[in-house]
Amino acid sequence: MAVNTPPAETAAVSRKLRPGKTGFFRTLGRQWQMLLMSVPMLLYVLLFNYAPMWGWINAFRDYTNKKNVARGITPFNGMANFEWLFSRPDFFQSIRNTLAMSLINLVFGTVSAILLAVLLNEVRNRGFKRTVQTVTYLPHFLSMVIVVSMAQNIFASSGPVNQLLLSLGIIRDPVFWLGEGKYFWWLVGVINVWKEVGWSTIIYISAMTAIDPCLYEAASIDGAGRFNRILHVTLPGIRSTFVILLIMNIGHLLEAGFEIQYLLGGGLVRDYSTTIDIFVLEYGTEKLNIGVATAAGMFKSIVAIILLAGANFISRRLGEETLI
Amino acid sequence: MKRILAVLLTLALILPLVPMALADETLEPITLTVFRGDPGDQPAEDNKIYKLIEEKFGVKFEFEFLAGNLDETLGLKIFGQDYPDLFDGGNSADLIIDGGALINLLDYISPEKTPRLWAHIEPQKARLIEKDEEGNDVLYIIPNYGLVEGEQIALTVGGPAFFIQKQVLAWAGYPKIKTLNQYFDVLEAFLKENPTDANGNPYIGFDILCEDWRHFCLINPVQHLMGRPNDGEVLIDVSTPDYHTETFIDKPYAKPYYKKLNEEFHKGLISRDTFTMNYDQYIAQLSSGTVLGMFDQAWDFGTATAALNDAKMFENTYVALGLVYDPEYVDGKEIEEHYLNGSLPNVRRGFGISVNCQCPERIIAMWEEMLSEEWQLIFNWGIEGEDYYVENGRLLMTQEQYNNTNDNTWKLKNKADAFFQSSPKRQGWILEGEYAGNCWEPANQDEIVFGMMNDYDKDFLSHYGFSKWADFVNPPIELAPYGEAWQINYNPVEVEHTDFLNIQDQRLPELIMCDPAEFDAKWDAFVEEITPSATAFGNYMQQAVLEEVAKVLGD
Repeated sequence: MAVNTPPAETAAVSRKLRPGKTGFFRTLGRQWQMLLMSVPMLLYVLLFNYAPMWGWINAFRDYTNKKNVARGITPFNGMANFEWLFSRPDFFQSIRNTLAMSLINLVFGTVSAILLAVLLNEVRNRGFKRTVQTVTYLPHFLSMVIVVSMAQNIFASSGPVNQLLLSLGIIRDPVFWLGEGKYFWWLVGVINVWKEVGWSTIIYISAMTAIDPCLYEAASIDGAGRFNRILHVTLPGIRSTFVILLIMNIGHLLEAGFEIQYLLGGGLVRDYSTTIDIFVLEYGTEKLNIGVATAAGMFKSIVAIILLAGANFISRRLGEETLI
Repeated sequence: MKRILAVLLTLALILPLVPMALADETLEPITLTVFRGDPGDQPAEDNKIYKLIEEKFGVKFEFEFLAGNLDETLGLKIFGQDYPDLFDGGNSADLIIDGGALINLLDYISPEKTPRLWAHIEPQKARLIEKDEEGNDVLYIIPNYGLVEGEQIALTVGGPAFFIQKQVLAWAGYPKIKTLNQYFDVLEAFLKENPTDANGNPYIGFDILCEDWRHFCLINPVQHLMGRPNDGEVLIDVSTPDYHTETFIDKPYAKPYYKKLNEEFHKGLISRDTFTMNYDQYIAQLSSGTVLGMFDQAWDFGTATAALNDAKMFENTYVALGLVYDPEYVDGKEIEEHYLNGSLPNVRRGFGISVNCQCPERIIAMWEEMLSEEWQLIFNWGIEGEDYYVENGRLLMTQEQYNNTNDNTWKLKNKADAFFQSSPKRQGWILEGEYAGNCWEPANQDEIVFGMMNDYDKDFLSHYGFSKWADFVNPPIELAPYGEAWQINYNPVEVEHTDFLNIQDQRLPELIMCDPAEFDAKWDAFVEEITPSATAFGNYMQQAVLEEVAKVLGD
C-alpha cells in the first residue's frame, strides 16, 4: 500500500507542478460538451430564479396609497416596510408558528415515511405491498380543501375521534380539537402525515431497492435477525438519502404550507394558525401592499439560506453527505 | 383560357366578400369574459336567454365565478392586469377601482346617447357619481340593485335580522317577540320541551356563523339591538348634527349581548362547533331544519330556505324578527327598532367595464337596450307563454311556472341570472305602458306573493293577522343622507380595520365560551386590546360619513 502511490495523489502532485490557468482551460476543453449541455438549465435558473430577484427592489417602495399605485407612483421609502413588519408582534408569532409546524411536519413526516418504507420493504408478498403503497399514497392527490373538510367532520365535538375516545373512556368530555390553539399544530402534523406519508415513502423505498442483497445475506449468515438486518443494513443504506432530504427540507422550513392553516385556522386558533404566508396575505397581498409582501418574502429567503447553509455545514462537519 | 382563369380567380376573390357585405347588418359576434365576485354555477350550454342575447346582440359570455377568497382573487387580477371585460368585484370593488381596473362609464353615458341608462341613474346621481383625484365626475359601476321605480315595496326582510324557526313561534302560541330576552326565553322554552326533532336529531338553539367575511353574524348584531340599521361596524347617531360615529363593539352597550350569549352557551343553546364550522356546514345544518335561530342576513342563507321549502319543511323555515335590547340593558331606555331601510342604490356593486375591454360601446349599447321593458321582462319574468302569462294586463304565473323559478337546475337552463344579477336592472313598479301597475320582479307581484304562498305560511301569518313577512318588523325608515355606512370605502385605514376584525374573530368566541365568572375581566381585556384599532377605524369613519353627507346634500 505504502509503496504504490494511488493515482489520485499523482494527479494532485502533477497539478501542483503546473499551476495557473492552464489547468482550468484544459478541464474546460475536455468537458465542453457537458458544459454546453448544462447551458439550458443555467439559463433557466438565471431567468426564473435570479432575474425575479430584481423584484426585491419593491421591498423598499411605498405601496400604501392605492391611487398612486394605480398611476404607477411608488416612491422608495427606505426600510419602512421592514420596520413595519418588525413592529408587529404577530409577525414574530407567525414566524414561531411557521417554524413549529414545519418542525412537526418534518419530524412526523420523515419518521412516518421511513417507518412505513421499512415495513413495506420487509413485506415479501408483492400484491399486498403494492396495495398498501397505492392506498397510502392516494390521499396525496386529494385537494387540501377536501382533506380539511373531512378533518373538520372527523375532529368535530361529536365527530368520530371524540366518540372513539369517549367510548374507550380516555376522555370524559369531548375535546374541542378545532377550537383550541394548543391542538392546532399537532392537528396539522397529523393531517399532513395522513395525506403525504405514502408519497414520501416512494423515495425511501427506491433507496432501499438499491441496497445490495448480498449485504442482507451476509448479515443473515452472521446471525442477524430481521430486526438487526433493518438496523444494520437497511437504515445505513438509506442514510445518505435521508441526509440529503433533511438538508433540503431544512431549506423549506419557513414554508410550513399555507392551505391547511388557511382553511382550518383563523378565528379562535388564530394565535397558533397564522403562518408567515397567511400574515403576508392578510396584510400584504390582500391589501395590494406589494412592499410589505416583498419585504416579508425577502426576510423569509434570507432566513432560509442561513438555515440551509447551517445544516449543510453541520452535515459536512459530521462527515455526512452535503448538498453543496 | 387565360380569360376564363382570370374570371374564375376574380370570382374566387370576390365571393368570400359577399357574406361579409350581407352580414354588415348584424354585429360581429364577440365573446365577453365575465367575472362574478361571488360563487355561482355555470349556466347550461343551451340556456335560452343567453341564446336570445347572442341572436340579438351577437354577444356570448364566458363566466368566471369566485372560488376562494375574494380580496386575494382580485389582488392577483390587479397584479397581473388580467381583467375580464365585465368585472364584478363583489364586496371589494373598491380594490379594483383603486387599482385602476375600470373605465369611467360617464364617457359613454349621457342623456342624448343613452336615454334609458341616464334616466335609470339620474334620480340617484348624487350618490352614484363620484369625484376622482383631479375632481372629474366619475361613475365606475352602475349598481346591480337598489335603483327602484315607484313607491318602495317591502314584503320581506331581505337583510339582517334575528331569525327564528316558524315552529318555535307556533309552539309558543304565536307571541310577538320584540326584545333579546323574549327571543332567548322562547328558544330556551322550546328546546327544553323539544330537545330533538321527530327523527331524533338534537336541536341547536342558536347558531353563530363566524367564517371569513360572513362573520357579520358574530360582530354586527349590537347596532341593530341599539335600534340602528346596518352601518357595518360603526354606530351612527343621526340625531346629532355631526353624525356622531363610533365603533360599537368596544363600548359598554355591546357587553350585554355577548354576556347574554355567554349565558346561553352555558345553558346549552349554542354549540361550540358553531365557531369552527364553515359556510357549507352552516347551510347544511340550517337545511336539516335543526337550527332554531340565528342572527344573519336573509340572502346569506337563501339556499337553505330553498332547500327547506323543497323538502316541504315549512315549519322549519325562518321568520325575521327585529329585536332590540330590553330596557334593563340600556339604562331603562326604550329602543325603537329599525331593521328595514328606505331603498338605497347598491353603490359600487355590480358590473364595471374593465380597461382591457375592447368594446365598451357595445356593452353600453347592449345595457341601454336591455333596460327596455321587453328585455327587463325577459330577464325577470322569462318568455311570455312559456314562463309566464298575461291576463287582463296582469303578469301571472301558473303554479308550475312559479315552482320552476325556485328550481336551480331549471334556472341554469332558462334564466340568465349569472349575467343579469350584476347588470343594471329596473326594480319596483312598472310605471308606464301596457303593464303599468305590475312589478318588475315576480317576487314582488301581489298575485305571486299571496297566490303561491303555501298553506302553512298562510295559516301562520293569519294567526298574527299579518299579510306579509315584513309586518314582523317596522315599516321601512328613510335613510340618513350618508346611506348605509358599510358601503363606505375604508382603504386608508385597512390595516387597522384588519386588526380590528381579527381581534373580534378571535376574542368574541372566547368571550361567549368563557367561564361566566371570568367574563367581566375578559371583556375588559378585550376592550383594552381592541381600543387602538377601533379608535383609528372609528375616527376615520366619522370623517368619511361627514364627507358622504356633504357629497349627497351638496347637490
